[in-house]
Amino acid sequence: MNDAMEQSLSDLVIERVGFGIFVLDRDMKVLMWNRFMQDHSGQPAEAVVGRSIFERFPELPRVWMSRKVESVFQLGSFAFSSWEQRPYLFQFDHDRPITGGVDFMQQDCTFMPLTRGREVIAVCVTISDVTHVSVMQREREEAVEKLQEYANRDGLTGIANRRFFEARLRDEFLRWQRYGGEMSVLLFDLDHFKDINDRFGHAVGDTVLRVMAQRVADAVRVQDTFGRFGGEEFALLLPCTPLADAMLVAEKIRMTIGDTPVEAEGMRVPVTASVGGAAARPGVPSYEVLINEADAALYSAKRQGRNRSVALA
Amino acid sequence: MPENMFTEEQRDALQEIANLAMGQAATRLARLLDTFIELSVPRVRIVRAEDAARTLREMTGIDETVTAVRQGFRSDIKGEALVICRSSGVGQLCDLVNDPYVHSAYDSVSQAELMFDVSNVLTGACVSCILNQLDRTPIFSPPGLLGEQISLEDVFHADLLAWKVALLLEVNFALEDQTFRAHLVMLMAEDSIRRMNDALSALLSSL
Repeated sequence: MNDAMEQSLSDLVIERVGFGIFVLDRDMKVLMWNRFMQDHSGQPAEAVVGRSIFERFPELPRVWMSRKVESVFQLGSFAFSSWEQRPYLFQFDHDRPITGGVDFMQQDCTFMPLTRGREVIAVCVTISDVTHVSVMQREREEAVEKLQEYANRDGLTGIANRRFFEARLRDEFLRWQRYGGEMSVLLFDLDHFKDINDRFGHAVGDTVLRVMAQRVADAVRVQDTFGRFGGEEFALLLPCTPLADAMLVAEKIRMTIGDTPVEAEGMRVPVTASVGGAAARPGVPSYEVLINEADAALYSAKRQGRNRSVALA
Repeated sequence: MPENMFTEEQRDALQEIANLAMGQAATRLARLLDTFIELSVPRVRIVRAEDAARTLREMTGIDETVTAVRQGFRSDIKGEALVICRSSGVGQLCDLVNDPYVHSAYDSVSQAELMFDVSNVLTGACVSCILNQLDRTPIFSPPGLLGEQISLEDVFHADLLAWKVALLLEVNFALEDQTFRAHLVMLMAEDSIRRMNDALSALLSSL
């Protein structure tokens, strides 16, 4: 293959290739402009070559871009720009105007030295369209967020699970240790839940748990965290709440649960709950101890005949 | 010891080349950044994969978590370059390329972008200068984040590595009058060590 032929082949490739290629000299004057750049910018080579790049594209980040190009001239090595830090250099359209959800074509840019001998004679800039990558990345982030949400929820009742509840409790306890104030915890348990399961079946038992979780969730404040602790046991974290107020909430929850029987599969199932409460106070070394105290109070409510709330004595 | 992959003469030549290259890189960086960046004398080691993290720990003296940016370079001699600093020092690393002019209202630059920029500039200058000494013109891949809060062990997944022995070249940077140091580490695997070997022999015989 002769030189002329090779020359024209590389010209054809540069014209057709699916990314932007242009060349700048040290004064930011355009020396070459390929078809991709023309198609996306609407500016043909004749209109751009021989002029400063900023003349036709005044929206380009002038200081930033001049520094990039200058660094390539001075170091003789590459410079880069990623869509993740700088979504685009040129305001180009992309091929997902309907489904993309991004304003302009997302671009990865490379600034390469073109050298003759040891001397850098010009800088070649390539522009890759990475819109699809950015769209995929966003979808992935949304999926991760959703998974995170599921990971924090109890599958049956949809309220916080134990892992999430304990994480919130730990944070709140650390804050209390540092800044003081008040915080309380309630643990409650549906009375004789095993009998409900045995008498009416597990499907009814599950409905009871769901309905109870919903009723209580509707009754608590937004700043409280309500979670399923396991089985028929639930927990409520009350930030900035002294024990006396927490016990009022405990009574309210007990009424919410016990006042109206649950309707499930045509049956009316009466349900009551026992509640134990404890509050953080000097000498309580960890949130685990706080939970144990609430559990002890719950046990004592059970022992005293159930369907009542008891604060740690 | 894998140290005998180079003759003594070759080792000396490589050290000499690295010294020269770092001098050159420092000059270029000073001109570009308009501030003097002090480059240490480069240290060259041959390391086994399983010792790589420990060696790096010894050389850098870093026990805390690090932020590491990687970049590939290739000619017939190819490898990866890492810029490593203590996670708490990223701000100071960025100061190497930061100047108030960049923070004009029109051209805002995020810290992440600055971090990649500074890594790229340091890597580009040093790796280009070394390979130029060997008559090679490297091509670089874009910088990528290895991690912002990782331990040096996380830099190498020793059980997954495709290489057994690597040539490791370390140089560290400081701004004048500052104690903060960032490290640049060039790593080349067996195949490139052999080519480096050939290149050094060629260079020595041409003297």
